Amino acid sequence: MSTVEAPSLAPAAEKLRERLERSSLRGRTEVRDLDLPTIEVSPADWLELARYLRDDPECRFDLFLDLAGVDNAKRRGRPTRFEAVFHLLSVSANEHVRVKVLLPDGAGPSLPTVHGVWPAANWFEREAFDLFGFDFPGHPNLRRLLCHDAFVGHPLRKDYAPGQRWFFAEEDLRMPDWASNTDERAGHFETSTISIGPSHPATHGIIHLIARLDGEKIARAETQIGYMHRCFEKMAETHTWNQVIPFCDRLNYVSAMINGVGYVRTVERMLGIEVPDRGRLVRTILSEFSRIMDHCVNIGTNLVDIGGLTNFWYLYQPREGIYGLLEACCGARLTVSYVRVGGLAIDVPDDFVARCRALLESIPAFLNDVDRLVTRNKIVRNRLAGTGIVTREQAIAYGFTGPVLRSTGVPYDVRRARPYDFYDRFDWDVAVASEGDNYARYLVRMEEMRQSLSIIRQALDVFPPSGPVDSDDWHVVLPPKDAVYHDMESLIYHFKLIMEGIRVPVGERYEWIEGANGELGFYAISEGGAGPYRLKPRPPCFPMMAAFEDIIVGSTISDAVATLGTLNIIAGELER
Amino acid sequence: MSGIIDVGTARGRKLSLAERLYFPGILKGLAVTMRHLVRNLVRIRNLPTILYPEKKRDYSGRFRGKHILTTRDDGTLKCVACYMCAEACPAECITIVAGEHPKLAYEKYPVLFEIDMLRCVFCGFCVDACPKDAIWMTRDYELAFFNRQEAIFGIDKLVAKPGLPVKDGLGYRPYYPGDGTRPPGDASSSPVIPGDGERANLREKGIDLHHTEGPGPLNRTF
Repeated sequence: MSTVEAPSLAPAAEKLRERLERSSLRGRTEVRDLDLPTIEVSPADWLELARYLRDDPECRFDLFLDLAGVDNAKRRGRPTRFEAVFHLLSVSANEHVRVKVLLPDGAGPSLPTVHGVWPAANWFEREAFDLFGFDFPGHPNLRRLLCHDAFVGHPLRKDYAPGQRWFFAEEDLRMPDWASNTDERAGHFETSTISIGPSHPATHGIIHLIARLDGEKIARAETQIGYMHRCFEKMAETHTWNQVIPFCDRLNYVSAMINGVGYVRTVERMLGIEVPDRGRLVRTILSEFSRIMDHCVNIGTNLVDIGGLTNFWYLYQPREGIYGLLEACCGARLTVSYVRVGGLAIDVPDDFVARCRALLESIPAFLNDVDRLVTRNKIVRNRLAGTGIVTREQAIAYGFTGPVLRSTGVPYDVRRARPYDFYDRFDWDVAVASEGDNYARYLVRMEEMRQSLSIIRQALDVFPPSGPVDSDDWHVVLPPKDAVYHDMESLIYHFKLIMEGIRVPVGERYEWIEGANGELGFYAISEGGAGPYRLKPRPPCFPMMAAFEDIIVGSTISDAVATLGTLNIIAGELER
Repeated sequence: MSGIIDVGTARGRKLSLAERLYFPGILKGLAVTMRHLVRNLVRIRNLPTILYPEKKRDYSGRFRGKHILTTRDDGTLKCVACYMCAEACPAECITIVAGEHPKLAYEKYPVLFEIDMLRCVFCGFCVDACPKDAIWMTRDYELAFFNRQEAIFGIDKLVAKPGLPVKDGLGYRPYYPGDGTRPPGDASSSPVIPGDGERANLREKGIDLHHTEGPGPLNRTF
């Protein structure tokens, strides 16, 4: 078996160059052929290019994926110190593109906001303002997002010393301006502003929701995040490629395995090394189990929020079993750190297949219990159906991916759109619904768990009983211990790998996989050093949290809680 | 590869009269919970919860818990203070000060070897990095302290007591054939679905855990 690699990108870049040459932007952009077609543009032309990319019928890059700032201070061969790197997706054409806005040196880095073109850009631009000090003239609410208001400096700039601490006192907390105003027009209830969180059971993490209520309905809302921000990206820059793996576990800690797989795939593709089939199958199987776990937690806690406690216990039992499996493989339940660049930390136990089969045997019973209790239950229907509606157009504009996007009828699943590992060999269905409400998201997640079980079953059928799980490239993978203890050459490889780290060729790459709640991408830049020069994860729940304050306007607090649950916000990944 | 499945169609089915009334729904829900209750009472040994701390969960031989420093036959530390574990540690929680060993044959040894258990993320990178098989992890996971100073484990707390295995058994450590050890194969001490004996139950039902075909076509109820 071998992976189907993405087709050579040269034709795609060439096509894009031709299109741009025919447009009004002729001569003002430069197209490069990196791992993705990459357009370079100056800030003055960025807004026009953004509109063109979204609206041109041949382009239709309608889904805003990610914005990563880059500080080129210590990078060779880049024309400007700062650049803003955008990743866009065309859902209809299934194409990714990268746009680099080169910010001229001299005046402070500044580029026009594209919040009006892709609403999803809102929070991404705030993040770049916060962490890099980019200015976005025209942005409606350009405030710090991840760092607190008493923070000084921009932590991801290369001249910011990572050890600094800034203390935050309660009086530094800035509430939005509208929060103190009351709206006492005739015919309205007296409005009141309430705070939900930061530490509230329904937020499942530390999220501060400020809502103005008009009677029982939410008239305006704002979410403030950053309470769990630990600057994963700065930590990645100060550690080696392999040392980043334990940090990745702490992004989406509900399905830690998937993050690790996404990250090491990026590094492996930069290195150009192949992982043996057996290793990739283990990754696939454990990733799908993690997806089941993630959906179990999501549905279980969501039902708790709306008052159905029992399901929580039935859904947490499969999760417990999967944790047992992960622990038997790698020695930890939650923060697995099981993958390594080039393979896995350690081979699976002998009874791996048997354990997986036993889990496959027992999980459907729990899903069926929940199905019987919930799916056709009148209370659940009343609470979930018709609330938290996101239309197809909204979902794309807000940059949603994963089950939430699929629940609006868009069958975009990375495992199908650009199959990695063995997903194209397995027979499985992409679950979609069309209504886009909370109930549709519940149905999609239930079906996805069953599809994941089916994928695991097929993967087990072709699972080789023995064979290597690691690449045999000792420039990347630690040599076997036996050799290290008794053989000088292996010891040297071992020593070089530990003390100097993996040497990843100079370059950049965006690799994306299907995380449990959407497209999980990693944008990595290497300058040939021991660790990443820049590493930017594309957290799937970040755009959802950004859109949350718009989605809940007009609904009641209790519906907002149900909606927050089905959007599947994981604070570790949201705030990195 | 296969198609797309629209799960939204299930909702098109209107709720039946019985489903629209609250009472049958309540009874149906109670039936499910009562079935679980009775099953748990009958098979009380298989309860998914563990009565901690009287009973403790068994972990596999790969569990990454508290570290130990292994010793040579004469009781000296195997560690040669090469700093590789400290270098590999992503949490930067290992502090080593090297010194000259009084015994000429051992050359170098750690005068100070400290692990800050509050910083440690238990990733096992130190075990992977060690070229001398000198640091292992155990299944001891009950690490609670009254103050931060207590959480910094020196050699006295880390050194393996004579006569391994240690209190709660050994966890993650390098396995290699030269030593006659191999990775723990059947890690069945930790249950498949929590509740001791679930695997035994599956075997009793005649399911050969090594060759099952799986439960057949997926049960699609919606």
